[in-house]
This record gives sequence, C-alpha cells and structure tokens, in this order.
Amino acid sequence: MSIPGPVSPDVLSVRTVSKAFGAVQALREVSVDCRAGEIHALVGENGSGKSTLLGIASGSLAPDEGTVEIGGSVLRRHSPAAARRLGVGIAYQDYSHVLGLTVAENVYLAVPADARPPYGQMHDWAKETLAGFTLDLPVAAPIGSLSLAERQLLEVAKALLTQPKVLLLDEPTTALGPDAVGQLHALVAERARAGVGVVYVSHRLPEVLAVADRVTVLRDGVGQGTFDAASVSEEALVALMIGRPLKVAFPERRAPAEEPEVVLAVTGLHGERFGPVDLVVRKGEILGIAGAEGNGQVQLLRALAGVERAAGSATCGGAELDLRSPVGPLRGGVVLLSGDRRGEALFPVLSVRANATVQVLRRLSRAGVVGRSRERRAIAELVQRLRVRMGSAEQPVQSLSGGNQQKVSLIRPFLRGDVKVILADEPTQGVDVGARFDIYEALRAKTDEGLAALVKSSDPLELAGLCDRVVVMSRGRIVEEIPRDELGERRIVEAIVGSRTRADVGAPA
Amino acid sequence: MKRGWLPLGLMTALILALGAYTEARHSTFLGKENLNSLLLEAMPLILVSMGQASALLVGGFDISVAALMTMCVVTASFTMTDSTSGIVLLPGALALVAVGLATGVFNALLIRIFRLPSIVATLGTLSVLEGASLLLRSYPQGAINTDVTSTLTSSVSFIPLAFVGVVVLAALADGWLYRTRSGLALRAVGLDATSSRRLGMSTGMTVLLAFVVCSVMASIAGFYLAAEVQVGSPIIGNQALESIAAAVLGGASLAGGKGSFFGTMLAALFLTEIDNVLPLFQQPTEYADMTIGVLILLALVLYQAPELVARVRSARQRPGRVAATEVEA
Repeated sequence: MSIPGPVSPDVLSVRTVSKAFGAVQALREVSVDCRAGEIHALVGENGSGKSTLLGIASGSLAPDEGTVEIGGSVLRRHSPAAARRLGVGIAYQDYSHVLGLTVAENVYLAVPADARPPYGQMHDWAKETLAGFTLDLPVAAPIGSLSLAERQLLEVAKALLTQPKVLLLDEPTTALGPDAVGQLHALVAERARAGVGVVYVSHRLPEVLAVADRVTVLRDGVGQGTFDAASVSEEALVALMIGRPLKVAFPERRAPAEEPEVVLAVTGLHGERFGPVDLVVRKGEILGIAGAEGNGQVQLLRALAGVERAAGSATCGGAELDLRSPVGPLRGGVVLLSGDRRGEALFPVLSVRANATVQVLRRLSRAGVVGRSRERRAIAELVQRLRVRMGSAEQPVQSLSGGNQQKVSLIRPFLRGDVKVILADEPTQGVDVGARFDIYEALRAKTDEGLAALVKSSDPLELAGLCDRVVVMSRGRIVEEIPRDELGERRIVEAIVGSRTRADVGAPA
Repeated sequence: MKRGWLPLGLMTALILALGAYTEARHSTFLGKENLNSLLLEAMPLILVSMGQASALLVGGFDISVAALMTMCVVTASFTMTDSTSGIVLLPGALALVAVGLATGVFNALLIRIFRLPSIVATLGTLSVLEGASLLLRSYPQGAINTDVTSTLTSSVSFIPLAFVGVVVLAALADGWLYRTRSGLALRAVGLDATSSRRLGMSTGMTVLLAFVVCSVMASIAGFYLAAEVQVGSPIIGNQALESIAAAVLGGASLAGGKGSFFGTMLAALFLTEIDNVLPLFQQPTEYADMTIGVLILLALVLYQAPELVARVRSARQRPGRVAATEVEA
C-alpha cells in the first residue's frame, strides 16, 4: 500500500551502486531505498542482480562504486559485522547456520553480545526465544537434523533476533509450503508495523505482491523502476523483468516425427531437494528445465546422473538405470555435463586432448597403451565441428575460454558411441555469445541423430530458443509443462514467477 | 558433548594400561625418579601439542612448530647463557617468546592476507627457521643457563610444578572452549568460516590469534627443550607431526571446530610414555613410530564411528523422509 501522510525516513538507502565480477557486470548504478515500516519487494529474473544487491547492502560484498546508508549512517567498512552494527539483519538464501553446532548454539551466536544470556542458560533461553516466533525446534539437536523448511524459518528468526532497523530477506520461502509462507509473512508484516524496513527478494510474484508496499524491478543488473505494489499489475512487472535484447541465434528445430519413442522415462524420482518427479524425454527432443534457482532442478539432473542420492525409478531405452553411482547411468547411456566445469566436468591442468578422450581411452588404446596419434585423429574432426578455438590439442584446458572449455566437455558424448541422453546443467554459463551458438548447434546435432537431451538453464530466453518442450520446477516438483507451440521467454517467466498458485495443484502426470 | 569425552577416556585408559603393564614387568617404572623424568620429558610435546590443537581448531595446521622450538633453543644459547644471571635473564627469556609471537603473526599473515593453505605457509616458515637456526649455530654449542633450567624443572615429590601448571591450563582452556561464548565463537569459525563471518564474527582475527597461540606455546615448549638439552643445538626440534598426532588423538578434527586441550595433554603424555617404556623392553624406537601411527588410525576410526553410523543410517532413510516433510508440507 502507498503510505499516506508524511513519508517515513529511509532505513536503507543504496545509491548508484555498481558491481562487476570479472567480465560480468552484475549491477550497474542501481539505487534502492527502503523506508521504516515498509515491505519493499525486489524482483527480477535469475542473475538479474538481486542477491548481489543484498550482498552489498549487508556488507558481504564491497561495491565497485556507490554507497550504502543504513539508518542514516554510511556503511564505510564493507563487512557483515559493520552492517550488523548499523542495524542490518539478513536471512541468506543459503543460510548462515554453522552445521556442526546445535540449534541453541546457532541462535546464541546470532544475537548481539548484550542480548545473550549466561552461557549455561542457553538451552532454555533458545527454546523461549524460538517460541516467540512460534518455532518449536529441538534446541539441543544439531542443525543438520532440521528439515530444510525448519532451517529456512530459523534463518529468518535469527535475522530478526538482531533487532534490525532493516531486514533483508533473500528468497526466504524456497523450502516452505503454503502454511509456512503465511506464517512467515504474518511475522514479517508484524515487524514492519513495528517500524522495521523490509527488503524482500523473491521471484514468486503473487507471494511477494501480497505483502509488499513497493516493488523494485531489476533486469540484467539495471534498475527498471520502483512502483507501488497496489497499483502495478503482475503482467506489467513481468514485462519489465524480461525483454533482454536478443543477441543469440538458435539452431533450427526439426519437425518431430509422429510420437517418437521414449528414451528416458522417470517415475516417482525423489531426493534431498526435489521430487517426486515424473517425466519422459523422447528421441530427438531437447527438454528444458526451468525454475528459479534452488528449486531442485540441479538435484534432479544430478540424481539422474547418479551423483546425487535419490529414490524412485528411471529407465533409459527401456532398461532400468542404476542410480546409486555415476557408473550405472554412464553404462546405460546417460552423460552429465556438469555446471561446475572446473570442479567436476574437466581436469583443468590436463590437455584438451586428454580431457576429450578420458572416457574412451580403452577404445583408443592397443594392448593397454594409449595411442596418441589415434587420440588426435579421434578428436580432430570434432574440434573442427564444434569450432573449439585453441592453439593446439596439447594446451591445458584451463587456458581456454569458458565457451571453449564447455565445447571440450561436449566432445566426450560425441566420442562415446553409446550415449542416449545428455544431461546439461547450465551449458552456456560463463560462455561468450559467439560460442553459445556452437554449443546449441552441437546439442541439436546430437539430438537430430536420435539422442535426447535434458537442459537445465536459468535463462528463460535460452530455454525458449533451444528446447522442444520446457518443464518448470518449483519447490522440487514439476509444476507446469510448456509445449513447443507455446514456448517463449515471457511464457516461461510467467510460469516461474506465478508458480506458487499452481504448486498447490500438484504436478502434472 | 557426550562424544567429546571419548578421547579423554581412551587416553587415560591407555596411559594407565601401558603404565600397569610396564610396572608388572619392570618394577622400576613407577619409581619416583622415572615418573619425574617421564613427566619432564613430556613437557615440550604437551605444550607444543596444545598449541597445535588451537591451530587445528580453526581448521589449520602448523608444521613450523618444530623448527620454531629449535630456533628458541638456539636463541636461548645466546640470550640465556651461563654468564648471565638474575634479573638479566628476563629479557633473554622474553626474546624466546618474542620469536614465537613474530612467527605466529608471520604465519597468520601468510594464511589470511596471502590466502596460502596453512600447511604450505607453515612449511615455508619451517624451512626459513631451520636455515636461520643453522646459520646461528652450525653445530651444538653455547651452554644454556642452568639456573633457568633447574627452575623450569623444579618438582614437588615426583611431580614437576610445570606439569601441574599445564594440567590446570588445559582444564581451563577446555572450560573456556566449551563453556563460554568466545570459545563457542572459535569453534564456529573452525566449523564454518562463511557462516561465522555472516554472523558478524571477525574470522580473520580468530585465525590470527589461534596461530599466535600455537607459536607462543611452541616457544614455551622451546624453554623445556632447552632445559633438556642445555646447549644450543640447531637440529633438535622434531615434534611437528607428533604434535598433530597428539592433538588428533586428543579429539581434534582435521576439518576444524573440534578438539580438546585436556585430551591433547593426555595424548602427548601417552605418546611420551610409549617412547619412555620401549627401551625398558629392549625394543628399538622404530616400534614407537609404528605404534603411534597405528594408534592414530585406530583412534580416528573410533572417534568417527558415531558419525559414520549416523551417516549410513540417514543416507538410507533420507529420500523418503525428505519427500514426506519438505515437499508435502
């Protein structure tokens, strides 16, 4: 609601802040302010700079330019401790819990020194304190024994325990069901009435609009304006969130054959942060997985590759996949292109050649000795076809650009003759525009040969351009499926931001 | 907390068992003289291991401690000579502590400012200190003041006063670690530096303090090493790995955030006891190294057993449990 009468003072004022990570400009001259007693929503797509902005406001990140003012004082030292002293309380998206300690110890550490009881009374005190948030948690138990929803509610409670002037919430409802969301919102609204300013980052528009007074939209690190929540429509906000200029072309889709055969079928698969999920991917199809970050998309892909624990069943080409280790899916013809290229997908110090051929060395060797020239011959054609730009096949893969590194990891499924499904986690993250098309084309070329691909991406534009069909995940489940003829950036973004209402309906079969 | 007592109990049991076994074979073992020399022999390792425990608590290692102890012995052979006496010895003794302080700050700077892994940073420091010791004394020379050494080793009956001191210190340190806010903060930093920083703790200062404490304890250990050898030997300190062994046997986790000073003290005492009794059985000292190695492996497995059991159990239940509580909620 717009506030009639005199405007309350700003408790947080971020002025013309810019921040770059390497070559990526995460924020460009963004200004946001939050008044006392106001709930100020901050919305935008994945990667639009919301979390970076909160990081700067809370002292975790130092801005390249611009200033942060908290309760009228300028934040001079960019540290979380300094921001806390000025009156910032923040609930991090990935929490600030110390996992090896108990609930009580974590609560104890979260409050300012003068609010702490004597050490020995910690348990009773913590129990009472949490009861004030209608949280009934086992205070003597380690944090690790809490459910994700409990951890999330505890994170918000911890932020409030600092008695902040301004409360920053970064996606505080990703693990919460509708009842818990209501409980959280009631709590936040009560604090706002008591004069606390709240900055609420969320991608769930209906949820956040229900409680927000004003909304600021970010797109590509640039502020798109601040609006009265009461007078702005969801459609208008979505229009501001999307509409990034189209810089990349996408390969042509082939007309599908009549009802192609199913390659990958997943039934009732569930794991730590997702499920149960049912889906099928057909021959020649690229299925996109959309969703706000942290809604189980990555976990689903990783479970299918056997690198994350899950229960349920998945078949590939009719044969049951053994998901207990990465070996089962690999034998069954399922390969994962990990989103963590340096950590998981590649051996950074090894050569391009070694990285490309590592999975097929047996085929390239005779009597146990790998033939170098055989290796080079095997990759030469693919290097050209994927347009890998490099000096020689012997240079370490870490000396290549991000896009060319990704192409090298794509050579692997091309070299293996037995691949049926490619699971790609953010295949173009950190990849320059020029190389993107090559990667899209390589994926499309593979599926045209009869493979199936599952692509998880945080970029709706990419999914709309590349995929034949897109499923949207929220809170670990598939909440919507967008068929080919409806695909578009706007359609996907609407599905992501509106996913709360549909989440209650349940997953489509 | 209950699990925290396991290393203490195990170490006490092992010390007593080995003592009883030895006494049954060699009645000289429990003689006052032998016990006194055993406790004095244990002093350097106890002190340096307690320092090591503090480095391990913040998730680091300090392998420069051995070279630092040597450096302190060499320093003592210059600043605490036979020709000095009385109050003049005080600055000489402070020089040793200063060497420790400087080394600790140096290590902490390498780790915090230059972001070197502690094992690499302290390895560099180790080489520098070793070289410096050899520059100052290329062979053992320079007698160390006997007034000082006899003060350090003064005993009531068979118990060295200094030993009483470290027992009290270890108990107080554990009380601090597990019963106060700042002790909790130290463990939190060792367990999860990112979350600790987010909660407003000064993680950098904590790591600095832990490494300074480690080095200062090593320099005090240097006093006792000097009392033992009484000459400026440039190749005397070799307790780096043993100090890590003692801290781990005493309950420290290599990942940080867990440990016990009292347990470390007991473990250091036990390791020294092994060294002490082997000659009685006419066994070569190589057996001591092997025994210690096997013990560390056994202790690590034993200490982690509850966690391993819990992990296996929760891994079996997890998917179902999460599906029920997270998603249906």
